[in-house]
Amino acid sequence: MASAGLPVAGIRLVTVRRRASVPWLMWICFGIALLLVVLALFGTTLAPYNPSAQNLSDVLARPGGAHWLGTDSLGRDVLSRIMAGARSACLGPVVIAGGSMLLGNLLGLLAGYRGGRIDAIIMRWVDLMWSIPGLLVIIVVAGAVGADYWLAVGLLLILTIPFDTRTVRGAVLEQAPRPYVEAARTLGVADWRIMIFHIWPNVLPVAVANAFLNFAGSVGFLAGLSFLGFGAPVSSPDWGVQLSQGLQSLFQNPIGMLAPGAMIVLTATSVNLIGDWVYEQLSSRGAGR
Amino acid sequence: MSTTQVNEPVVTAAVCPVLEVDGLSVERLRRGGADTIVTSVSLSVRAGETIGIVGESGSGKSMTARAITGLLPPGLVARGAVRYGGRNLLTQRESQWQAIRGGEIGLVMQDPFTMLNPVLRCGRILEESLPDRRRLGRAQRRAEIARRLAEVGITDEGVAERYPFQLSGGMRQRVAIAAALARGPRVLIADEPSTALDVATQREILALIKDIQEARGMGLILITHDLRVAFAMCDRIYVLYAGSLVEAAPAAELQAEPLHPYSHGLLLSEPPADHRVRELAVIPGTVPSPGQVAGSCTFAPRCRWAAGTCRESAPPLVEVTLPEVASGRLSACVRLAEIRADMRAVREQAELEAHTAPAGRAESGLISVRDVRKVFRQGGRTVAAVDGVSLEVGAGESVGLVGESGSGKTTLARLLVGLERATSGDITIDGTSASDWAALSPSERRRLRGIIQIVFQDPYSSLNPVRTIGATLAEAITTHNPRARGVPAQVGDLLASVGLPAAYAQRKPFALSGGERQRVAIARALAARPRVLVCDEPVSALDVSVQAQILNLLAALRADRGIGYLFITHDLSIVRQITDYLYVMRRGRLVESGATEQVLNGPRDPYTIQLIESVPSPEAGWLTTPER
Amino acid sequence: MTSRGWLLFISRRLVVLAVLLVLISFAVFTLLYVSPGSAINALLGTNPRTPGEVRFLTREYHLNRPFLDQFWLWASQAVRLHFGNSIQTSLPVTSEITARLPTTIFLGLYAFVLIMVFGVGGGIVAALNRRRLADRGIVAAAIVALSTPAFVGGVGLIWVFAILVHLFPVYGPGAGFVDDLWHLTLPAIALALTGMAYLVRHTRAAMITVLDQDYVTFARARGLSRARVLLTYQLRNALIPVVTMSGLILSYVITGAVLVEDTFSLPGIGQLLVQSATTKDLPMLQAVAMLVAVVIVLANLLADVTYIAVDPRIRLGRGSGG
Repeated sequence: MASAGLPVAGIRLVTVRRRASVPWLMWICFGIALLLVVLALFGTTLAPYNPSAQNLSDVLARPGGAHWLGTDSLGRDVLSRIMAGARSACLGPVVIAGGSMLLGNLLGLLAGYRGGRIDAIIMRWVDLMWSIPGLLVIIVVAGAVGADYWLAVGLLLILTIPFDTRTVRGAVLEQAPRPYVEAARTLGVADWRIMIFHIWPNVLPVAVANAFLNFAGSVGFLAGLSFLGFGAPVSSPDWGVQLSQGLQSLFQNPIGMLAPGAMIVLTATSVNLIGDWVYEQLSSRGAGR
Repeated sequence: MSTTQVNEPVVTAAVCPVLEVDGLSVERLRRGGADTIVTSVSLSVRAGETIGIVGESGSGKSMTARAITGLLPPGLVARGAVRYGGRNLLTQRESQWQAIRGGEIGLVMQDPFTMLNPVLRCGRILEESLPDRRRLGRAQRRAEIARRLAEVGITDEGVAERYPFQLSGGMRQRVAIAAALARGPRVLIADEPSTALDVATQREILALIKDIQEARGMGLILITHDLRVAFAMCDRIYVLYAGSLVEAAPAAELQAEPLHPYSHGLLLSEPPADHRVRELAVIPGTVPSPGQVAGSCTFAPRCRWAAGTCRESAPPLVEVTLPEVASGRLSACVRLAEIRADMRAVREQAELEAHTAPAGRAESGLISVRDVRKVFRQGGRTVAAVDGVSLEVGAGESVGLVGESGSGKTTLARLLVGLERATSGDITIDGTSASDWAALSPSERRRLRGIIQIVFQDPYSSLNPVRTIGATLAEAITTHNPRARGVPAQVGDLLASVGLPAAYAQRKPFALSGGERQRVAIARALAARPRVLVCDEPVSALDVSVQAQILNLLAALRADRGIGYLFITHDLSIVRQITDYLYVMRRGRLVESGATEQVLNGPRDPYTIQLIESVPSPEAGWLTTPER
Repeated sequence: MTSRGWLLFISRRLVVLAVLLVLISFAVFTLLYVSPGSAINALLGTNPRTPGEVRFLTREYHLNRPFLDQFWLWASQAVRLHFGNSIQTSLPVTSEITARLPTTIFLGLYAFVLIMVFGVGGGIVAALNRRRLADRGIVAAAIVALSTPAFVGGVGLIWVFAILVHLFPVYGPGAGFVDDLWHLTLPAIALALTGMAYLVRHTRAAMITVLDQDYVTFARARGLSRARVLLTYQLRNALIPVVTMSGLILSYVITGAVLVEDTFSLPGIGQLLVQSATTKDLPMLQAVAMLVAVVIVLANLLADVTYIAVDPRIRLGRGSGG
C-alpha cells in the first residue's frame, strides 16, 4: 500500500510500506540471545560438570571426549565454567542497560523538554562525566576500597547514565518544537502527559537502541574488569577471570583462553546486531519522523 | 515599447532547438520491478527561449531536470533521449557528463540555504566554478569573481570573503546563480529558483535570471509549481501531472484557454489576486503517484469529465487540431472536443466576482490586542519580534494578517494561544486578560482554550506519528472535557465535519496525504469548540490543487458555526478570498490595516504596495519595473 | 574568531578545566581515607608496624593535621610533582612514572594513528561503495570489532601470532625505535579495534549524510571534478562530526591501554595503575590518577579547539542570516 509520503526538498518520495521480513542473521542472533538467557538462569545446573570441581590429575587437558573444551589449570571443565559464567556476564549488563535507560531517559526528557535551569544543571553534569574514562575510575576506586562485582556494576551504571541522557535529550529537542507537541500544549494537555505519551514514544527508537548498545558495551567492560582482577572474584567462572587464567596456560590448552573470549565477542556482537535491527524496525514505523 | 506580452520570442534566435528531450522516462528500480516517476516526456528549448515545466509535488518535474543533467539519485534510471550537440546525453559516460555539466547545461536548484558548501567562502565557490582557473593569476581571478558577482547584482566586494551562512537567502541565490553560470552554459535549468525566498526577493531573482538569459542568449528551462510565475517568465509551458505531460502550449495561449482539464483546474485553483471570487474552484482528491495511475489518463480519477475511454489507456500528447486553436498546441485529453465548451463555462463561473460589503466593525472584538511587544534574546542581541502591535478580531469575523518570514506574525499567533508570553502590552480574549497564560488559574485557561485554538502550518509534523487519528482526536476531546461521554461517536462527528470518513480514525498519519492531515489538524482544533481559530499559514505547505479544498472547508465552517478566523499568511491572493479585514505586518510592526478589498485595491503603505506588486503577473513590465 | 575571541574562549575553558582538576584531585586525595582501615595501615601496606614507622608516616603524611590542611599540603606537593614514595618500592613515585611513560605514549600514539587511518579510511571506502560488498564487509567487521574488548582482541592476536604463526613477538616492549614498533604492533592493533569501529561507523554515517546533500549535487552540476567534490565537499563536511568524536576516542585509547598493557606485559603506565591498585599502593595510585585526569582534560580541550577551527559556522557565530 503506497502512500503519499513526505516532501523532501520539493520532491515527494513515495514510501512503500512493506511487511519487513526478519533476515536469517537476526534469527541467529535471537537464538544466541535466548541461549544466553537460559545459561544465565540455569547454567550451573545444565553444565555437565560442577564448574568448581577441581581435578588435579587432569590438568590442562586438550579438548576431547570427556571434556569437550578441555580443562583449566586446576582441572576444572572449561565447558561447564563457560556455561556457568553466563550469569555474571549478563546479569550486570542487564542492570546497567536497564537502569541507565530508566534514569537516562528521565533526565533526558526533563532536560530536553523543560529546558532552562534544569537543562543547564543536567547538561553540566553530563559534560563533566562525559570525559571520565570509566575503567580507570573503577580501578582507582577498587584499588582504594577493594574489588567487588556489584560495586563495579553500580559505578558503571552511574557512568553510563550521562550517555543516555545526552542522546535522549538530543532526540527530545528534535521533537519538542514540532507542531504536534505544541498542539497538545495549546489543547491543555498536562506537561507530564506530553513528555511520557507524546514525546517519549517518538524518542523510543534511539532510547532502545542505546540500551542494547550499553548492554553490549557493559559485557566487555565488566569482563575486562574481572580480567584485571577488579571485578568478579578469582574463583568464579566469570569469563573475564577465565580469560585471565587461560592466558597463563596459553600453550597447553589455548581453548581455555579462546572459549571465554569467543563467548564475550559473540554475546556483544549478537546484542549489537539486535540493537541495530530493533532501531530500524522502530523508526520505520513512523516514530521519530 | 509594445504593450503586448513580454514573451514574444526573439526573432533572431536560431530555429532549431539547442536541447531536445525525446521520450524521457525515469524509473526507480526495486526488487521485482520498477516504480515509474516520469513517463515519456518530450520537450525542446531554443537559444533565447524560455520554457516552463509546471507541476505540483509528485509530478516528476525535479527528476526531469536531474535526468537532463545526469544527476539522478542512486537507484533511479533514465531512458529515452536527451539530445544536445548532436548526441544523446543519456548514453554517454560519466566523464563525458562532466564536460556537459556547467559548461553546456547549467542547473540552479531550489534551496539557497543548502546549495552552497558551508565551509567555503563565496569567492572560493565562484572561483572553483570558473573555467581555466589555473591559468589566471591572483589579481585576474579576483577581477573575474568581482565581474561575475556584478553580473548577478552584487557590488559589495566583501561578499566574496564571506561564508554562505553570513548572507541572506536572496544573496545566496545570487551567488549560486553566478556559480552555475560561471562556465557559460548555453542552457540553464532553474528548479524553483525563487520558492524558498520571500515574496519581494522572488521577483528580483526571477527578473535577474531573465536579464541574464537575454544578455547571454541562453535557453532557459524554468521549473515551477506556480502557473503565474510561468506565465510571467516563459514563452512556452509544459504541464506535468503525475509524471506525464498533459499539455504543452505557448504561455499566452495557455493562459487564455487551457486545453486540458488539469491545466484548467490548476489555473482555477490559483485564487486571483485582483478580485474576490464567489467560490474557489477545487480539484477533488489528491495527487497520485505515477504508478497508481499507469495505464490510463493520469488525471482521470480526479477529472469531472472522465469517461470510459479515459481509463482504457494512457492518452498520448498530440497536436490539437480544433478550430480557433493556434498551431503548436499539444494536449493529452481525448475528450477535448466534447468538453471544451463546458470547460469555458466552468471558468467563467469560477471567475465571477463576489460582491461583499463588509459590515462595520465593532469597537472591540472577541480578541483584543493592545500595543503588544515580544522581545527575544539571541546570543547577546535582543530582537523585538513583535513591536507594539494592536489589532482586533471580532466574533465571527475573518481577519487576515499578512507578512513575510521575520515579520513576527507567527510569534503573534503563538502569543494569542499561550505558547509565548508577551513582554509588554495587553491581550484580552473575551474579557479575560491573556497576556500571560501561566498567571491564570487552570479553569480560566480551560475557558480560554474553549474560545481560541490554533492550526499550524506544517501538516506533516502536526500529528503525532505513533498515534492513530482517533486517539489524537479523542485526547483533544477528553482534555477539554474530561467527563465527555460517547467519545468515539464524537470523534466520528469531528471527522465528518472536516469531510473525512469515520474509518480514518483507525489510521496513522503516515497513511494520510498532506491535505487530509491538515483536515485532521483542523478537526483537532475544533474539538474544543472554539469561537475563533488562529490559522498560521494553514495551506502554504500544500499543493495548489489541495489548497482550495482547505480554504473552502474553512469558509464552510465559518458559515455553519460562526467561527471567526485570524488567518495568517504571506499570500495576498488567498487572503483576498477568505478574509474581510486585513492587517499588514512588517518586522514586528503593523504598517497598514483596513477592509481587505480596500487595502488591496488601494494600498497606502509602500511595503503593502511592494507586496502587491510582487505577486507574479503576466502583465508586461512585472519583471522590469524600475524599483529593482 | 578574532584573536581576542580565541583568548577569551581558551581562558574560559582553562578555568573550567582547572576547577575540574581541583575537584578530581580532591576526590583522589580522599581515596586514602575511604579505604577500609586506618590511613596508617593503608600506608604501611605489608611493612611491619613499628612505633618508629608510625611516627615517620604520621609526620610524612601530616596525619595529625586537620583534613583540609592535609589536602592543601598534598596538593601543593602534587603541583610540584612530588607525590611521595611508593609503598611497594619505597622509591619516588614520579621516577617510576617517568620511566614508564615512554612506552605508554608510544603505544597510545601508534594506536591513535591506526584508528585515524583505518577508521576514517574504512568509513570513507564504505560510504563510497554503499550497499556493495566492500561496504557490507566493512560494516560487518566494524560491528565485530566494536564487540571485541581490547583484552579479548589482544588475547586473540596472541593466539594467532604466538601459536599459529610466529610473526610478531607477544611479550615485552622491545628496544630501539624499530624494535619498539615491532613489539608494539599487536598491542596497538588490539587497542585500536574499538576506536576504529566507532570511527568507521561515524565516518560512514557522516559521509552518507553529506552525499545526499544539495551542495554536493550542485557541485556536480557545475561540472567540478570528482576529486574536488570528494575532497572539498564531502570530506571537509563529513569530518566535522568526526572531529567531535576524538575526545571520546581518546577515552577509549586510555581505557584500552590499561587492558592491553596487562595482556602483553608491557611496562607502561596502565600496568602501573593496575599494579598499584592491586597492591593498594596509594601514593602511586593517586599520582597515576592525576596524570590520567590531566591528559584527558587537555585532550578534550584540544578536541574542542579543533572543532571550532574546522567549522566556520561555529567560529564566526550565526551571522546575519536571511
